[in-house]
Amino acid sequence: MNHPSFVHGVAVSVSWQITSASLTDLIFRATTAALKDSNIDLARVDSIVLSAHDLVDGRSLSSMVTAPAAGAYLRDEIRLAEDGLAAMSLASARIAAGETEFSVIAAWGRASEGNYSHTSRFAFDPFLIQPFGVDEFAVSAWRLSAWIGEHGERLEARQRAHTARAARAARNPRAVCADVRPTVNHPMLASEAPRFADIVVAAVIGRPESGVRIAGVGHSSEASMIGDRNLTRMQALREAVARARTEGRESAGVDVYQLAGPTLADEAMALEAVQLAPAGEGFDAYAALANVNPSGGSESGWCFPTSGLLNFAECYLQLSGRAGGVQLRGPLRRALATGLSPMGGQVAHAIVLEAA
Amino acid sequence: MSRSIAIAGVGQTVYKRRHVEMNSAELVRGAVLEALNDAGLGLDAIGLVVGGVAPDALAGMNHIDLASIARPGIPYFRVNTGGATGSAAFLAARTWIAAGRCDAALVVALERMGHASTAQKVFNSIFDPIYEKDISISTISMVAMRATMLMQEQGYTLDHWAGLAAKNSKSAQLNDTLDHPKLFTAAEVLASPVLAWPIHALEACPMSEGACVMVLVADDLAGERNVAWIHGAAGLSDTYAMGDRMHRPEGSLVELYTLIHSAQKAFTQAGISKPSEQIDCVEIHAPFASAEAMAYTALGLCGERTGPQFADGLISQTERIVVNPSGGPQVANPVSAAALIRIAECAQQVRGRAGRRQKDGIRRAVATGQGGATQFSTCVVLGADRP
Repeated sequence: MNHPSFVHGVAVSVSWQITSASLTDLIFRATTAALKDSNIDLARVDSIVLSAHDLVDGRSLSSMVTAPAAGAYLRDEIRLAEDGLAAMSLASARIAAGETEFSVIAAWGRASEGNYSHTSRFAFDPFLIQPFGVDEFAVSAWRLSAWIGEHGERLEARQRAHTARAARAARNPRAVCADVRPTVNHPMLASEAPRFADIVVAAVIGRPESGVRIAGVGHSSEASMIGDRNLTRMQALREAVARARTEGRESAGVDVYQLAGPTLADEAMALEAVQLAPAGEGFDAYAALANVNPSGGSESGWCFPTSGLLNFAECYLQLSGRAGGVQLRGPLRRALATGLSPMGGQVAHAIVLEAA
Repeated sequence: MSRSIAIAGVGQTVYKRRHVEMNSAELVRGAVLEALNDAGLGLDAIGLVVGGVAPDALAGMNHIDLASIARPGIPYFRVNTGGATGSAAFLAARTWIAAGRCDAALVVALERMGHASTAQKVFNSIFDPIYEKDISISTISMVAMRATMLMQEQGYTLDHWAGLAAKNSKSAQLNDTLDHPKLFTAAEVLASPVLAWPIHALEACPMSEGACVMVLVADDLAGERNVAWIHGAAGLSDTYAMGDRMHRPEGSLVELYTLIHSAQKAFTQAGISKPSEQIDCVEIHAPFASAEAMAYTALGLCGERTGPQFADGLISQTERIVVNPSGGPQVANPVSAAALIRIAECAQQVRGRAGRRQKDGIRRAVATGQGGATQFSTCVVLGADRP
């Protein structure tokens, strides 16, 4: 990179069905909180990178109305319809290229106002797949089914991982309180599904030095057709993480992992993909390793396209020693955050953060 | 910006109301292969693919880009800034290369709006659901308000809107990316039905589908290729609330504050101080004649009060600067791709590869992008000379 990017502040808003606030209100509050956390005045921010999706927000070109609430008023702004970690990566590229001094990055999604299972169905082939009612969580169930085919059902390990994840989420002061989950398919258990949430995440990064810097970024993608993929291998995630680690010269290892996935099964298999656990032992490792998804992962709240940026914020809070009830014991030097696109993580993003 | 960046390849499908014979992946594939072939590069040279697809609802499918644009093994993300999607995707790819993350990037913008049975209803859902849907505001009535303001404040007439539409329809006859473009006169525009006064049917852009693809490369990959160099590029966003922009100090709704400042920034990067003298060709992202007129002053092509006279010069073909030699979005408006097409057309003019629509002596060209309620603006300056 030409100019390194430093993280100056974050804000996380995870809620459910707050009827007194519009989506625009929630975005404004989170962005304001991130700026306050960074101690950077909005006047110094010269670019905005957003992550939002029309069909999640329930209107065409959703950022047309919501972008100014994230600071995009008479500022250079771009909106991605992709996981929020991609927005963070693009913002850091803008800093690296010398295009901007400070950037606000925001991602949002309000699961309580829509039906993500229904929305995600429309991403599949309208003739050959949609009639079967396949959605995002069905892909996760297929992934788990494939894993079971390779390694056995491992119900005890899955239960241990669920218990550990739920305990972490219970300690997370930013976790959603409501317990609203999608209907999942066999062999997925209801407890392995995510808790839906209304999520807004905002962050401020800039060229001036701070306590945490972005040390590496990585991205990749894999085949669109589910049948063309090895679902348990998670090739796009594997490559994205490898690239981020290479760029971050991460030879000293990572102290905190925040790995994205709509369900516990996706998160557990991500452990195997990033080589934190041998194949078949992802659930065991999830239960045993306290530094993997200390936030509680999607048990703390999930809504596309926020997960990657939420993971980034959790990593930053850990490295800053401000993660509250889920704070890991230090010293913490490096953290890895990942983000996945729909359907089944066809596109993956990874960022390595490093305490300065 | 430490690295010079250039456009080394362009690929475009034919733009027409509906591509019934090809699915999205097939449309994209043809344009990608054309762009890569034009650049003399293989897919293995590409370090980033940026997709550009605007309202998902238009295509009738969610994440249509994941199945048609993203490529296994290559970093990918999608941009959606409405009408400015194509140019915003271009800016993102340029940033990636400038940051040193790759040496070549592919920008792919795709539009399938011909598959929407209710395109206007999809467009109408961009407006505020509480305050504005009850008054049935639409993209066309939004444009009509601006056209009326221009007539009242700057002296434009119905003849200007009709004359500019006829000018663009004439230019379109030489554009081989268009499927049977209509040719009409100003009188025929004025005789066509009124959609929302003062907008006549023949002035309004058609529904269009197609894909536009571009290969961007860093200077060391450009080598001796025939490229269009990026001399400057910038973007700016504004509030959506049109009422708040009517009479504010920064400039009224029709003064296009965002384009003024995007252009100023891009022109500064390009070393342009007198746009009316230093620019040879402009591709304006304007689906209606009044939108084209708003850009003349914002880009500094004419003085503050001389927009109508500048339009007269374009209509009578006496103006030096070439405006929309492709015919512009008034003759084909695949929403997601339209802003990228403006850049592609400028690139081809600068490279001398615009075919029958090539104009003589184009050394420097400017492309604009507009999105939302004219709240997202981009401006890109391309040149034949290495910066």
